[in-house]
Amino acid sequence: MAGEGDSEPGKSFKLLGFLDVKNVPCARESVLYGSLGSLVMGLGHFVATSRVRRSCDVAVGGFICTMLGYWFYCRYNLAQQRIRQRMLKEGMKNRILFEGSYLDPGKEQTGSERSDS
Amino acid sequence: MANHSQFGFQDASSPIMEELVEFHDHALMTALAICSLVLYLLTLMLTEKLSSSTVDAQEIELVWTILPAIVLIMLALPSLQILYMMDEINEPDLTLKAIGHQWYWTYEYTDFKDLTFDSYMTPTADLPLGHFRLLEVDHRVVVPMESPVRVIVTADDVLHSWAVPSLGVKTDAIPGRLNQTSFIASRPGVFYGQCSEICGANHSFMPIVVESAPLANFESWSSLLSS
Repeated sequence: MAGEGDSEPGKSFKLLGFLDVKNVPCARESVLYGSLGSLVMGLGHFVATSRVRRSCDVAVGGFICTMLGYWFYCRYNLAQQRIRQRMLKEGMKNRILFEGSYLDPGKEQTGSERSDS
Repeated sequence: MANHSQFGFQDASSPIMEELVEFHDHALMTALAICSLVLYLLTLMLTEKLSSSTVDAQEIELVWTILPAIVLIMLALPSLQILYMMDEINEPDLTLKAIGHQWYWTYEYTDFKDLTFDSYMTPTADLPLGHFRLLEVDHRVVVPMESPVRVIVTADDVLHSWAVPSLGVKTDAIPGRLNQTSFIASRPGVFYGQCSEICGANHSFMPIVVESAPLANFESWSSLLSS
């Protein structure tokens, strides 16, 4: 499973020693957006309340929620894309198979004009 | 096949293996989130002064009951979905029997013709240049690509296991019992596996090689072999 735009496909970068963020789709973006969300929420809370300890808690919570939230969103879109790719592949295969025959969907409009093939 | 020092899965060559890899990624992401939280809590515990002023903790108890339940549901739902997907009966186009012996496999294609052959590992001394050591066999299992294939696995003597990681297949071969598995090879290629149940001195030397080819190629191969 190659990462997108990966200059060194053989290399991997494992976060905490087990999650390969380079080669797992959506992982890199999830962690980056999670970090950004954590920073924004933590800093925002600190600026609003000046409470360090609680802001750290909010930052960690924000990291987890943003990371998981983007992960589910990205994986859902990826799954939809894969289904569309499969349907397209199937459609192209059927188009090639049935082109010119009576099963060709493109010939439905002219079907009434033909009495026999 | 796996590269040296490979830690992760091989590239998926069947729809079920694709689903398994996606579920594995999902489980690892969940594990990352949990580990991050635990690391943070550990750091807090190590830097805070101890105090015994807490007498009532209804909120935290609610949180640490509800959150793990949510995590378990997040893991269980896709897991069960894949589990049931693996057991779907999908009207296979081809049925193949794999029989484990010490220390080789026998394959039988008895749907259309009586085609049976043994599959022994190619010894290293006889290996052509560029072929894979301890993985190549003299007769590969050829299957048509993009067709559901049913494999009935059994053994003749001791326990073996017929496994091809790239196809997401691993089935125990038990003497006196027929175990069934099925797969669809999504693309043409050669997929390697090894016996996965300890079966004696040469347990590591009875590999499995599945070659998936277009239907026309499969038909000409089976005609060639049975003539």
